[in-house]
Amino acid sequence: MRAALLIAAKDLRQRLRDRSAIMVAVVVPLGLAFVFNATLGGISTEGVAFRYGVVDEDRSEISAVFVDEVLPAVEEGGAIRVRSVPSDAEGRRSVEAGDLDALLVVPAGFGAAVEGSGAAEIRVVGDVDEPTAAQVARSIASTFVADLNAVRVAVATVADPHATDPAELDALVERAAAVATPVDVVDVTATTKELDVTTYYAAGMAVFFLFFTVQFGVASLLDERKDGTLSRLLAAPIGRSAILGGKLLTSFVIGTLSMATLIVATSLLLGADWGDGIGVALLVLSGVLAATGIMSIVATLAKTSEQAGNWQSIIAVVLGMLGGVFFPISQAPGFLPTLSLVTPQAWFLRGLSDMAGDTGWTVVLPAVLAMLVFAAVTGAIAAVRLDRMARL
Amino acid sequence: MRALAIAGVNVRRMLRDRSNVFFVFVFPMLLILVLGVSFGRGFEPRIGVVAADPGALGRDLVRTLEEMPDVDVARYDSVDDLRTSVERGQLEAGVVVPEGYDGAIRAGRDAEVRYLARQGELGLQLSRTVRSAVAEQGQRLRAARLFVAERAGSLDEGLARADVAAEALEPVEVVTTTVGEAIFPTSLGRFDLGASSTLLLFIFLTSMTSAVALIETRRLGLSRRMLSTPTSAGTIVAGEALGRLGIAMVQGLFIMLGSLILFGVDWGEPLGSAALLVSFALVGAGAGMFLGSLLRTEQQAIGLGILLGLGLGALGGCMVPMEFFSPTMRTVAHFTPHAWALDGYAELVRRDGTIVDVLPYVGILLAYAAVLLGLASWRLRRAITG
Repeated sequence: MRAALLIAAKDLRQRLRDRSAIMVAVVVPLGLAFVFNATLGGISTEGVAFRYGVVDEDRSEISAVFVDEVLPAVEEGGAIRVRSVPSDAEGRRSVEAGDLDALLVVPAGFGAAVEGSGAAEIRVVGDVDEPTAAQVARSIASTFVADLNAVRVAVATVADPHATDPAELDALVERAAAVATPVDVVDVTATTKELDVTTYYAAGMAVFFLFFTVQFGVASLLDERKDGTLSRLLAAPIGRSAILGGKLLTSFVIGTLSMATLIVATSLLLGADWGDGIGVALLVLSGVLAATGIMSIVATLAKTSEQAGNWQSIIAVVLGMLGGVFFPISQAPGFLPTLSLVTPQAWFLRGLSDMAGDTGWTVVLPAVLAMLVFAAVTGAIAAVRLDRMARL
Repeated sequence: MRALAIAGVNVRRMLRDRSNVFFVFVFPMLLILVLGVSFGRGFEPRIGVVAADPGALGRDLVRTLEEMPDVDVARYDSVDDLRTSVERGQLEAGVVVPEGYDGAIRAGRDAEVRYLARQGELGLQLSRTVRSAVAEQGQRLRAARLFVAERAGSLDEGLARADVAAEALEPVEVVTTTVGEAIFPTSLGRFDLGASSTLLLFIFLTSMTSAVALIETRRLGLSRRMLSTPTSAGTIVAGEALGRLGIAMVQGLFIMLGSLILFGVDWGEPLGSAALLVSFALVGAGAGMFLGSLLRTEQQAIGLGILLGLGLGALGGCMVPMEFFSPTMRTVAHFTPHAWALDGYAELVRRDGTIVDVLPYVGILLAYAAVLLGLASWRLRRAITG
């Protein structure tokens, strides 16, 4: 045990003196998190209020209901901002210039046509690059129009408007308007289990480079072999397991240190919000174990530390991309979100995202368990192979 | 002639390393594939629907939702799955048609459709879409209910009559038109957007990490040995520059042709496309050589090369399209050569431009290349002769 600690301490001192290790473990991930945050930090995943313009060319009682009651009510609920625009042409120009996301036009004669059972339309002019804004504007108008249609259709369903006495027809319209719709929509707010952009990239870069950082421990066994120091260690009265344990311990400590540094640095410098401390600690520890296990296997497959480094980079980059460290693959359509769960990176990010809903640290347990399984399986394989490697 | 030999050695050295082959050729293609598969269809809000035992009216409501333009409706089996997907951001919103929906309405009771979304503007906005689908059904149901009340018929009879009556009426409608020119035209293939940004990202990244080879050449004393032969420092510098250009061109052509053959990526007019590739490869060669002439150790070069390669790529719009940047960041992005090259490809691919349209972009890239190559040659000449 003492021997293992001594070996780990020696390796750690060596690594801390080596500027390239600090570069990969801290400087590069921090730099990239900073760039991503600067370029994309302003993008909100929850959208912004749509800016609509409304033109009332009709100025009837019915159009007034739409402009003065329906739209303000929707505006009150948030998500849209409406302003009155003097003319159709000016509104279109604003949409084209990007000052408005969509324009709603109640054309002249709308109210008269509705009352006189004629054809009528509300026009929505959308920006071709904002289909959702146009879609929502259309939905708001459609809901209003459905209400207008409802009375007309209801009256026509029970009576022939042309063959009914006007007084009776008025009474029928009144009764039709009084029939409430039997279906309604109730809003249920879901908690958010998504990381904000800043935290997402901070966490993504940290876990991506973790897979490079842990290789410093195990791959040094290859260096020791090349330099002949491994034979000397083996000749000393130390067990093989102590040597291997020391190397694995080095990986674990370097990985944990770099993650801790990045978490503190991104929180202070970028304002990343990693969430509950206990949950983060569990995720980091199990993530470091999984990374150490996987990278150890790769190291045992290589003949030289240079080869090991190359293969480890390939594995780290492929797993990182698939695990969603560069773009949120867990939100992509299709089979990729499921496929990405074969990587510890995906579980790490999922664990953090699940905590984003302020639901306490226990929600990370499935992710922690998944990463521990990775660690156990890869660690067992690596231990067997490492043991063979350390026999001369 | 000697310069070409030096260039040839550089290209061969790069190709002989198997992990290089992966990062230079295989990985970019993989990335184009993944980007195209995941994000190639553009953004359409996704609404998940759970409808257990919906009955005729429930099915009708789901169909109305599915027919809404510009939203993508997916069926879910359980409310828990739906909630989890909404929470994790795999769906923008969820709709639950309650069990026994049809029966409740037929029995004269009211029914509530549950709408589920994360807190935020988009959730509120999409609730309008769902409300309008429900209002559309509500319109028929109100007519049918009036019929039941006035004529004492059944609800089904009322619905049938309401449909006939609605058909005969002059409709009140909502008509949508759009103005402006699409930034991402619908003709854009699902791999097109990701392909040009991946091309630029990787040409630059490979060039930056190629600084390592340059440092190795100097550290092993190869440059000094070359100098001891009747080879001038100028020839060596030219050879190194040509070597880097060669690597960038081999990689660029591979990615362009490979993605064209495998994924049918549209690279636009070949002449314009080639001009952009060559000028950007020159920028990459200059930047890589400059980095290699500035640094002393390979470790520094790897770290800084990756940081600059990925960092400038991200800043220049190679990871997330610049169209999503804030106006300020878009201006900042144009300090990178990537942004100009991407603008050039956008001109070619999205607006069917020709070589004439991309000449300004090619010019800017060549200016970058001239400055970088000039600085790099000056520094490198000093480094190998000094």
